[in-house]
Amino acid sequence: MICASCDSPLPVPADLDCFSALGFPRRLTIDTDALETSYHELGRKIHPDRFASSAPNVRALSLSGTALLTRSYRTLRDPVSRGLYWLELKGEKLAENNKNVPPDLAETVFEVQEQLSDLRDASGDAAIELRSEVEQRRVEVSSAMEELGAQLARNFSRWDASTSSNGGNDNRNLVAELKAILSKIAYLRTLLRDIDRGLETLRAA
Amino acid sequence: MARIYGIDLGTTNSLIAVMDGEAARVLADPKTGATILPSVVAIAPEGEVYVGDQAIEVEPRLALKNDGVIHATGFSGGDMGAVIRSVKRYMGLGSSEIAPADQARYTFADLTGPVVRFQVARRAYTASQISAEILRALKQRAETALPSEKVERVVITVPAYFNDGQRQATKDAGRLAGLEVVRLVNEPTAASLAYGLQKLTEGRVAVYDFGGGTFDISILNVKGGVFEVLSTNGDTHLGGDDIDAALVNWFLADLPESIRTERHIWNSARRIAEDAKQKLSSAEQTELILEIPPDLSLREKLTRTHLEELAKPFIARTLERCRLALKDAKLEPPQIDAVVLVGGSTRMPMVRREVARMFGREPLCSINPDEVVALGAAVQAGVLMGTQRDMLLLDVVPLSLGIETVGGVMERIIHRNTTIPTSVTEMFTTAVDNQTHVDVHVLQGEREMAKDSRSLARFKLGPLEGQPAGYPKIAVTFLIDANGILNVTARDERTGREHSVDIKPSYGLTDDEIEKMLEEAIDLGEQDLEERLLIVARNDAHQILAALSKQLAEWGHLVSADERAAVERLAGRLAEAEKGTDRELIAKLVEDLNAATTPFAERIMDAAIKQALEKKSVEELS
Repeated sequence: MICASCDSPLPVPADLDCFSALGFPRRLTIDTDALETSYHELGRKIHPDRFASSAPNVRALSLSGTALLTRSYRTLRDPVSRGLYWLELKGEKLAENNKNVPPDLAETVFEVQEQLSDLRDASGDAAIELRSEVEQRRVEVSSAMEELGAQLARNFSRWDASTSSNGGNDNRNLVAELKAILSKIAYLRTLLRDIDRGLETLRAA
Repeated sequence: MARIYGIDLGTTNSLIAVMDGEAARVLADPKTGATILPSVVAIAPEGEVYVGDQAIEVEPRLALKNDGVIHATGFSGGDMGAVIRSVKRYMGLGSSEIAPADQARYTFADLTGPVVRFQVARRAYTASQISAEILRALKQRAETALPSEKVERVVITVPAYFNDGQRQATKDAGRLAGLEVVRLVNEPTAASLAYGLQKLTEGRVAVYDFGGGTFDISILNVKGGVFEVLSTNGDTHLGGDDIDAALVNWFLADLPESIRTERHIWNSARRIAEDAKQKLSSAEQTELILEIPPDLSLREKLTRTHLEELAKPFIARTLERCRLALKDAKLEPPQIDAVVLVGGSTRMPMVRREVARMFGREPLCSINPDEVVALGAAVQAGVLMGTQRDMLLLDVVPLSLGIETVGGVMERIIHRNTTIPTSVTEMFTTAVDNQTHVDVHVLQGEREMAKDSRSLARFKLGPLEGQPAGYPKIAVTFLIDANGILNVTARDERTGREHSVDIKPSYGLTDDEIEKMLEEAIDLGEQDLEERLLIVARNDAHQILAALSKQLAEWGHLVSADERAAVERLAGRLAEAEKGTDRELIAKLVEDLNAATTPFAERIMDAAIKQALEKKSVEELS
């Protein structure tokens, strides 16, 4: 993206992926501090602030290059979006098989939605009691999220190990596992958002 | 390469600053030494423009004139000329969005168009045009302070929570003032740059910016010269002005609506209220006094506690915004390493107290809260000139950007607090055979439904004749640039052809309209700065001479023979000079005459007040 000899922004190749944009190998385990350092270093070189007095075409390249750099950083920084992006690079999409609630979460999801609906109609002491129940739920869901985050990290390192030992061959089991973890996380995120909204509405009222 | 200047175009005050070696410096008016230019613009019926203190002079109000009687004075709107304060509140607004209270205060050209226009005599002025006058005045101030320089390229600060339309209107103002706006910078971010330049803050910084008309909270991570905004929130119609208005409404509560909103009375009360509010930043108690002719006298004691009660709901709103910003940054108050106060309203002790309580630490205000944004704008100008190479500023878009989809739902494509510049590409196609074009409606805001969000722009993709439904594939790239302004490009994926995107902004001015305004400005306004200044000087002369002859006629007995001889000599010279074109001479004589008349003007004023009070007490007794 940046000319090595003259430091000016170059057109972004159409097939440039997020890993290459930030100068990282295609591995799922990433040192996020190193990622940030790289993002800032490249940002300093390509940011539109550097080209405020340049010709319009140079300014346009700096703008689109920075936008891509930022998008790449955002995608890779968060393990969930990194995992989703990884699957996408492999031609696997999560969206299609994400309609059904993961079986082991079904009960929790159902109960939380029930509680939230009760909370909306409740008043007085009952509301206070329900509120603390929902807050307790929130703690449970958050810790489940943390557990899933740890699973994700384990899956990532197994991926990286298998990719280097298999000479790049994808392990079907790992794909399935990654998909399962990510779809659970996606579900819990939605659930957390609903809980927060429910609690917020209560506070506003 | 021409220097880049930093401008804080504030609701209440505006400033211009520049990098001076390694330090940022605000440029003062060489004549008065003032760094602050009040953001007040007066337009006379013939179209002459006054900015700052000169505009405040002609603001409609009740004033004790040299003749010792309280008069309604100033440009009272419409054919009488108008004085516009806090024009920033109208930037990027559609006419239908004008609040009823504002309709009482100003005369608007129409109440339906996509752009607010103030009506003054036969002309209508947009908020961008009025802001452009403030920018011109700042440019002139800087060029007077640094005679060898020309101000052509600038950085202008905007509230972080300004939407696309408000940002565009600010850029338009720059263009109308003949300036190249190299960058718009968010005010709290600019403030953090000013603190960062002095290495005063590092780590996670919360910038609480409570100004005259707007409130912003930004949470940044400052590390090794990188200023990364994590989240921002705010309200572009929440500021010290609102506290003043609440105070005025309390002060004038006993008056009937029609009298309370009368422009002269309201403005006088506003000045008194603002003054009282400022006094209560150090004093515990003050008194508000307003004389309304012919014989009404309002007098109210105000304690700081009472002021705080009136201000409380507004401050509570700022704190709620802080909580939302912290939540978006995924941080709790104890994780914040420093809190910085920006904006005049943070001088209120209550604001400091509440901010300290919310974040659990004493806020910083070591850089003058009125100047810090302008200083930061100068630092950013330095970054853009390449003199501050180690600094990197990563700001965010304050509001989500989306498009209207089936059923009037807003689909978010760029989420709030995304680092800018950023871009997203969306694919569009047709729903029925032979559809000729695809309509795209771009929205900004956090609501679920399109109708609740703010319309940003509409555009058509096409023409796409003779194709079956779903066949066209048009990739539309929405790019938010470093100014926080949306740019749209479209490309036909099947043909590889670039589509031109003719965006029609929902609010604000089109490019053609700006071009037209620029042409007009060259025709009329720029007759020549000299000529305009001469008109101003002559008006001043005329005013002082008229006041003097009235004074001498009515209060001659209070003036000694020596004084009379001295002022009459000066007045004679001024009357002569007024006929000529030497504006400096006119200005000097006005100043001299002013100085010569001050001692007896004060005596006359005292006598007039005494007379007014006597008259009143007689009435009260009877």
